[in-house]
Amino acid sequence: MRKEAVSRTERPSRADVVIVGNGALGLFLADELVERRIGSVVVVGPSGREGGASQAAGAMLGCFGEATTESLRTDASRTRFELGVAAHDRWPDVLDRLEGYSSTGSPLLVAPDSHVVLNSIGADLDTVNFTAMIEALEEYGKPWEEIDPREIPGFRPRLDTRALRAVHLPAEGAVDARGVLDALDARLRETDTIMIDQTVRTLVRDDGAVTGVELDDGHVIEAGTVVVAVGARSEALVRTALDDLDMVPTFPGLGFAMLARRTGGEPFRSVVRTPNRGFACGLHVVPGPGDLEYYGATNRLVDQVSSVTWMADVRFLAQYSMQQLDERVASHEVTGWLAGNRPVTLDGFPLIGWLPLSGLYLLTGTYRDGFHCAPLLAEHVANELQGKPGTIDPMFRPTRAPIETRTIEWSVNEYVEHNLAAWFETGAEAAPQMTTAQIADYYRAMAMKFYDTMDIDYALGPDILWYAQGSLLGARRVARYFHRLSGRSGSRPVGAGTGEARR
Amino acid sequence: MIVSQEPVVEIVRRIVDKQLNLSAHGYELDADDDLWNMGMTSLTCMGLMLTVEDTFQIELPEEALREGTFRTVGTITAAVEAARSAHEKPERRV
Repeated sequence: MRKEAVSRTERPSRADVVIVGNGALGLFLADELVERRIGSVVVVGPSGREGGASQAAGAMLGCFGEATTESLRTDASRTRFELGVAAHDRWPDVLDRLEGYSSTGSPLLVAPDSHVVLNSIGADLDTVNFTAMIEALEEYGKPWEEIDPREIPGFRPRLDTRALRAVHLPAEGAVDARGVLDALDARLRETDTIMIDQTVRTLVRDDGAVTGVELDDGHVIEAGTVVVAVGARSEALVRTALDDLDMVPTFPGLGFAMLARRTGGEPFRSVVRTPNRGFACGLHVVPGPGDLEYYGATNRLVDQVSSVTWMADVRFLAQYSMQQLDERVASHEVTGWLAGNRPVTLDGFPLIGWLPLSGLYLLTGTYRDGFHCAPLLAEHVANELQGKPGTIDPMFRPTRAPIETRTIEWSVNEYVEHNLAAWFETGAEAAPQMTTAQIADYYRAMAMKFYDTMDIDYALGPDILWYAQGSLLGARRVARYFHRLSGRSGSRPVGAGTGEARR
Repeated sequence: MIVSQEPVVEIVRRIVDKQLNLSAHGYELDADDDLWNMGMTSLTCMGLMLTVEDTFQIELPEEALREGTFRTVGTITAAVEAARSAHEKPERRV
């Protein structure tokens, strides 16, 4: 696959910067540091990247295609959204730089544009998010055009889930995530960067400073600076040196996607997607590389990082791709199953900045657009490591209190909307005399009782609320975190627990 | 909440009774009654877990955070006692 099959097997005992994590964030940062010649760089991460979000990513270069009613509703969300807008402009240069290192035989930019379709199966959430996307495009003066859904190349849904509206986004395409990672890897191997095919077991701490990392086999690498960028595993690793830090908790957002080879019919030539919907990123197809098509993706917050795939998710993706995107998907040949864990923070915002231990930097919490934002964040982090002013808002510092963007009432309503969207999309049926309002009442009552039971006054996003009400571990992590923040007694449990939330 | 000398099982019984609102309906809870058959839901179980941990100042191990642990007053009591004895060995606390 790579230009040279030879990989460096040396394991240094010292480096100026050790980056823990070889996903998009880690590799783009390494590339930036090498460009700036800031010293010796070591990247530690298993070459298979199992369970990592980047290797499973659809890597849509989308920010407006991802827009929802929430994206621009508060100053904090707007700042977050504008990270994506700024990141978008970096990609043409990034691809110019990487194309020569790619070995896939196809362009890394697999699709130059996107079509966002509004069909009727996703409930009202789709409609309001579709409208919010158009409003955002208008506000930021970005190009878009409403077109007849029947004109989208490759788009041949079942008639009962046909799209009623569609928007063409000529400037939002997608890259081949796995191709980009391989190209970055190849480029770094031509430099003095050392890539170590292992995982880090613990951070090494000496009083108030982190002085290095210990690998799984016990080998220690001393480092001037350690950057933790291991996605959903980052919090657990940070806690090996900072057990008592009240950091905004992170949860794995486990997602499933499929790579399949088209065997007939007209191929897709653009990204085709629904708006973000029902706790997840919407259904989408990304064409390429070659005759492959990427179908994604599910999203479910879970207790532990893993690479499992649920039968329900396989059914979800296969059935809805056939129904909502192209009937011919039924005869596609599945060539790859991708499972990845997005790093999802409790407040939905990234965790980027120095931790209260000298020499320790955290770069995670980017949820579903870490890949897209990686080149931009690499510049910011490189600046910070060099003691220069950062390029993004400092609000994402990991030692912050959780960012508030909604009231409890808003949270409950959002939870109801997302559940209704999931209810209808999954084909759940109620008795004829049961109205949508009654189903909504059921979810509303659940959410209200949840807040009562948890005794917290922070308003959660719908994905976190859904997770915590279905997981005892999740509920405990959320409740204990807020009870500690508010200094409540009974909030410092002791005992035999091994949970990440323990202090 | 201060943990008294009262037997663990009695305290657990009181917590469960309050969560499920049983005695208000004239029901007397046995230590092996299946709570999942007595109206317990995932949300009441969550409340039960948080109250039990707060009351006894313990953190149940992750592997105990499942339905079976909260099936009866007896299973909850056993989990509490296991967590307490795991903790009490190095330093005694009440």
